[in-house]
Amino acid sequence: MPWGTSAMLTTIAIGSLKQRKSSVLLTLLSIVISVSLLLTVETVRHQVKSSFASTVSGVDIIVGAPSGDINLLLSSVFRIGSPTKAISYSNIDMLTNHQAVDWVIPLSLGDTHKGFRVVGTSNAYFKHFMYGNKTPLVIARGETFISPSSAVLGADVASAMKYDLGDPLVLAHGLGNVSFKQHASHPFHVSGILSKTGTPVDKAIYVTLEGLDAAHDSATTSITRANKLQNPSLHATEHEQHHSTPHSHENEDHHKHTDSISAVQGQENNKDDYKPQAVSVAMLGLKNRVAALQLQYQLNQNKAEPLSAILPGVVLSQLWAIMGNIEGLLLGISLLIVVASLFGLTTMLLASMRERRHEMATLRTIGASPLTLLMLIQLEALLVSLAGCVISVLAVATLLFTTSEWIGNHYGLYLSGNIFNVESVIIVSAVLVATLIIACFPAIAAYRQGLHSGLNHS
Amino acid sequence: MSSAILSPTSAIEISNLEFTYPSASSMLCVPKWSINRGEHVFLSGPSGSGKSTLLNLLCGTLTPTSGNIQLLGRPFSSLSGSKRDKFRAKHIGVVFQQFNLIPYLTVSQNITAAVYFASGNGQQQATQTRLSVLLHALQLPDDIATQRADALSVGQQQRVAIARALINEPEILIVDEPTSALDTASRDRFMQLLKQVSAQSTLLFVSHDPSLKQYFDIHTSMDAICRGEQAPC
Repeated sequence: MPWGTSAMLTTIAIGSLKQRKSSVLLTLLSIVISVSLLLTVETVRHQVKSSFASTVSGVDIIVGAPSGDINLLLSSVFRIGSPTKAISYSNIDMLTNHQAVDWVIPLSLGDTHKGFRVVGTSNAYFKHFMYGNKTPLVIARGETFISPSSAVLGADVASAMKYDLGDPLVLAHGLGNVSFKQHASHPFHVSGILSKTGTPVDKAIYVTLEGLDAAHDSATTSITRANKLQNPSLHATEHEQHHSTPHSHENEDHHKHTDSISAVQGQENNKDDYKPQAVSVAMLGLKNRVAALQLQYQLNQNKAEPLSAILPGVVLSQLWAIMGNIEGLLLGISLLIVVASLFGLTTMLLASMRERRHEMATLRTIGASPLTLLMLIQLEALLVSLAGCVISVLAVATLLFTTSEWIGNHYGLYLSGNIFNVESVIIVSAVLVATLIIACFPAIAAYRQGLHSGLNHS
Repeated sequence: MSSAILSPTSAIEISNLEFTYPSASSMLCVPKWSINRGEHVFLSGPSGSGKSTLLNLLCGTLTPTSGNIQLLGRPFSSLSGSKRDKFRAKHIGVVFQQFNLIPYLTVSQNITAAVYFASGNGQQQATQTRLSVLLHALQLPDDIATQRADALSVGQQQRVAIARALINEPEILIVDEPTSALDTASRDRFMQLLKQVSAQSTLLFVSHDPSLKQYFDIHTSMDAICRGEQAPC
């Protein structure tokens, strides 16, 4: 078909659609809603998978207290859900000295600061933890831990809280963004800010294990504290209980932190040599990944203390397998809704055929072939569907862009507003192809009408 | 019908034409009828006599059950559907009883749509010049080209319909009862204008109003055509 004729057909199609504004707008709305739903489901599904897959890289085994493989992975890597119970630090020593283990990152989880998760760890975290395609963490400004009161901020924390190097950071316990219980007596100081990674790393505050212990040292009598230092197992038990769930200290009087003995003591110690009584989990890097399964088996059989060792990749696969059915269901429902809205479009076009008999007859008489009428109807369907897809893409992108921060803070899912990717192109293309197929019904009706229309219909 | 027996001067030539609607029992039969090039013919007949059916057959929007229709020396009824559509777009102009302008298009788009379907390009300078000449000849203001068709008066719609029928400079112009809704003065003005702008075309004017035959050299009726009588001069 010559370009000029195509342009004229487009003009006629747009004019015809404008002529039926109300029904076209309602149909457009149904397409926008259905395609937006499909795009959202697919984008969230894809981004969550991609985000999860890129969050941890190079960690061969994660060890924690037995609490379920998926829970251990979600809490330790993605900071989702409740942290597992603590494990004794003697296990970290055992793992550090294990011949198959290259490095160990101890993590102490369970605290938050103004809505951001606080992670107690050592400098090994910044040295060995990798994300994406084995990309190491980079300190954008400042340094890693240089004293027990050092804190390193994820990129999003620094930008959201407007913290800068040297700023005091007062832990205020509790999960909310606002806390009335400030632990001003145990301030940390920002020693470094990490470069953006696009993973949960960006939304966490990293403090030393020693500093975290000091912050958690309860404000009981100095005698009690001294007893704890002399009897570490008592403190370890309390700490374990303390960290078993995310918790708020806002209404607890016992957490009036003063300069603790351990903090003072810690300042005198090498920060990476500090050994707390317990930690939440440990991430392991092996000298040879072939030994991963064997070591996992050994750790799961540990008799001194029950441990759970997981392979992150395997557990992620288990997670996707569980999620697969739900994903499929959501995707299937979304697809059905899109198909229903496209049938709505078809019904609208079919219903308009009767009132357009004059128009069709006129077009036929001035030279339009039945095939041209078929193409006109297809073009109208395509224009409505294309407009619906464009509006949907923009709407979903805007929605994700504006809510990604909130979703990240509340659900630990790190979504991007950028949905202009291959999947979106495939979805939009599929919707347009489906439109062309479904619009065959009214288009063929127009073709048949064109075959028999003439002056007697005018 | 073999082309050997056809007159090269014929614009329309029908032989042994038969047509029946699938759901109807009556049949339209035209044993033999022709109109020479450049002739202006008035065709009358009562409602239901088959005038519109004959016009549809001549436009190619209906296909004869049997027989032949030859237009401008070409076996029109034997052409494939797409070739018939192309032929109609290029060589036949039609003015409808209700004008049938497409309401949401502008006057210019209504008129040049016929050019797009005929040649694929209505933006050519020649088309735009022809459009301007036609609007002027039909006593329409230049700025009417950008107005929507549904904003025009009945008289303006009528003239735009003629302009649309003539934009491709068709050899055959078919006009189907365009004056039925007009008063006498308007009807006379319209007829004079039509005769003036269609001077170069073969004109087949269909109406049940016998008073209009005064504008035509040749008058025939559906009854006579069906009996196989050639139109008297």
